[in-house]
Amino acid sequence: MVLPRGRDARTVPPMIEVEALTKRYGTFTAVRNLSFTVRPGEVLGLVGPNGAGKTSTLRCLAGIIPSSEGKVRIAGHDLSVDPVAAKRSLAFFPDEPRLFEYLTVRQHLNFVARIYGVANYEDLAVPLLEELELAEKADVLPGELSRGMKQKLVIACGLLHSPRVMFFDEPLTGLDPLGIRRMKDSIVRRARDGAAIVLSSHLLHLLQEVCTNVLILKKGDKVADGTMAEVAAQFSNGEANVSLEEIFIRATGGSET
Amino acid sequence: MIGALFYLRLTSLLNLVAHRIGRLRQPKYLVGAAVAVAYFYFVLVRGPVRAAGIPAVAGGRQIGFALICAFLCLLGLVRIAYAWIFPPEKPGLRFSEAEIAFLFPAPVTRKTLIHYRLLSSQIAILFTSVLMAFVFNRFGYLGGYRSLRAIGWWVILSTYDLHLNGTNLTLCTLRERSRHFLLWRLGVVTAIAVYVVAVFRSAIGLVEGLLSGPISAQAGSERFIEQVVDSPSLHWLTLPFRIIFGPYAASGLGEFAAAMVPALLLLALHYYWVSSTEARFEEGSIALAEKRAAIRAAVQRGEIPSIGNSKPRARSGPFPLPPKGLPEMAFLWKNLLSIRSSLLNRRVILLVVVLMVSLFMGPLLSLRTETIGTEAFRKIVAVLCGMFAAYTMLVGPQLARQDLRSDLPNADILKTYPMQGWRLALGELLAPTVILTAVLWFMLLVCAAAVDTGEGGWLTGGVRVTVVVCLALAAPLVCLIQLIVPNWIMMLMPGWYQASRSRVGGIETFGQSLMFGIIQLLFALAVIVPAAGAACLIIFSSQWLIGPGPAVALAAAVVLPVLAGEAAFGLWWLGERFEKFDLSTESR
Repeated sequence: MVLPRGRDARTVPPMIEVEALTKRYGTFTAVRNLSFTVRPGEVLGLVGPNGAGKTSTLRCLAGIIPSSEGKVRIAGHDLSVDPVAAKRSLAFFPDEPRLFEYLTVRQHLNFVARIYGVANYEDLAVPLLEELELAEKADVLPGELSRGMKQKLVIACGLLHSPRVMFFDEPLTGLDPLGIRRMKDSIVRRARDGAAIVLSSHLLHLLQEVCTNVLILKKGDKVADGTMAEVAAQFSNGEANVSLEEIFIRATGGSET
Repeated sequence: MIGALFYLRLTSLLNLVAHRIGRLRQPKYLVGAAVAVAYFYFVLVRGPVRAAGIPAVAGGRQIGFALICAFLCLLGLVRIAYAWIFPPEKPGLRFSEAEIAFLFPAPVTRKTLIHYRLLSSQIAILFTSVLMAFVFNRFGYLGGYRSLRAIGWWVILSTYDLHLNGTNLTLCTLRERSRHFLLWRLGVVTAIAVYVVAVFRSAIGLVEGLLSGPISAQAGSERFIEQVVDSPSLHWLTLPFRIIFGPYAASGLGEFAAAMVPALLLLALHYYWVSSTEARFEEGSIALAEKRAAIRAAVQRGEIPSIGNSKPRARSGPFPLPPKGLPEMAFLWKNLLSIRSSLLNRRVILLVVVLMVSLFMGPLLSLRTETIGTEAFRKIVAVLCGMFAAYTMLVGPQLARQDLRSDLPNADILKTYPMQGWRLALGELLAPTVILTAVLWFMLLVCAAAVDTGEGGWLTGGVRVTVVVCLALAAPLVCLIQLIVPNWIMMLMPGWYQASRSRVGGIETFGQSLMFGIIQLLFALAVIVPAAGAACLIIFSSQWLIGPGPAVALAAAVVLPVLAGEAAFGLWWLGERFEKFDLSTESR
């Protein structure tokens, strides 16, 4: 499934602007000179072999780690100049649910509401918990939740302040089939509502279903970037209906790194 | 099959040693190892004992051994009694989670697993034996050869380990097969209690008898102990322990060889007991491994693991948290909530109440009657409170860890919050600051109530109130600064900090912990001593002109902003560092 995009989508100012982003760990360069944009309503699939620099890119974009070089603008705010304003607009969903052991589901939402200053959080929390099937577990500690439930709680916390930019790192890990379907629908719905989303995953069929754009990384370098159709055209060699999996293998040379 | 398990244990050990040696290439481990080796050398190896075969100090040896043996016997008995009084729901042998995953489904008999367990224990026992020989030989009056002492320790620890394993396996069998599990336990506990009472009564009777009789001063304490230990009743009552401790207490090679025969026989009996048990310990072992993993995780998170039920319970927040307001308060709310319920249980509250009542009783009584007894009591209370306050300031920050240290695994999430670094750091440090400040204020109040004003002295009521208020204002700042230090260390050297939190770190992580403790102490001295010195200087130089009360207030007016500035700088730096912090790379 590909999101319908308006004809003037490219005229809308981007919510995520990445310009010559470079991330180095000592002498090792994880991401090299990466530039791209994501506009409201777009879902960018970030793909690449293990060690390609996907997680480093996502962590730089979410303000978790500082970039070595380059600029990142979130909702118009330069992440290095005004990180607080930029972070107000974003939500990061890690692959491993990180929760506070002694806070119940409801207390997590209360805590996050205070951090982001969500005045009407109680009105928002109820439908959110129901949508994520957490309403019955509202007074339960994370230790009593399954991994999928924990993942849902992370999502509930991330969505509470209605972010306009979202970063998902392997969002389907630990979810059951129904949860996967709901998560995919949720991502598409948020994009339709105007959110700019970056999604990193090895599940290429997921990306093919929900992404409007794709960015392929290999050894920290950008190999391909554009709409699904543009990237497909770049690696199809004239063939029709080439799958993202085939594109990925051709783009990365079929090797790990 | 045991060959494969031996290979697993030996290879694991060799790889562990190789890994530990290999990581010494990193300065953080090399420095830690150097500090630890220096500590062990200067504190344990050099000490009073410098060579093997040191002669025992006359009169001291017998007392030393008697005390050590009596203490260890009591400890062992308490542990065994505890196992029978509070047996786990599923008794089992100790295996790691990885061992359970690989060995339990493998085609290995229970007996082989038991042997593997015993073999695994031996590595730790051998290491501990050598260490104990060094530690206890520090006391010169014990004399003897270190190598023989080490073997003596090996006999003691191996017998104890076998006995504990045998107890667990027997408990496991009884719980599963006997309908009278409770009766069995009652019987064993009663037997232990009867034994302890019999030993104590015999010992007390003998001591009283000897004290009332003619004891020459020359015979001294050594002869006295000999008479007590060698009396017929105690001789037979303590025979099993005497056999176990025989090789350790031997003074020469001949005595040692003679003592080893019955000791090894007893050890062999224990081995037979353990190896012939047909207990189904698997479920218990799995439960035990899960519990240990939870404890290890709690320790690594910087928490104090609970002894009993390690599962946290949902509790209501410490105060209502409206969605609008300072975000720092959300961290205070969260971290206060994270304080383990075990710290707030009825026993702890009862203990605090008893302490408070006993501390306040003296000052209250002294208001009615001025006697020498109450006077002395008040002084003791004041000194104790002062000592406890100093302890709280120095050690408290290492214990109250509801801050960035316990939230380290959540660093990625915290960094996505729309907060400046220093505000996040402040929020994280609020909870331990509040806890430590509350303790200090309480001690300050008790101390103020206990200190005697004296008739016509300079410490009038007004001066006392001024001092208390000024110290109370300084307390949260000092606590905050003291808490910034370990968080600083963690931010500067996250790899070091992470390693020192690990329970399987080795000698180098011990050295790292030692260094952190020294840094904390030096920092406390660097911050508090100049401030206290400046305050004293101001008070003594100005009190002639303006009087003691205003002089104290003036000193506080100068010193408190300095402390506040130091705290503000520390928070700013911590926040800056946190914003650039990446645990995934820095802890490598």
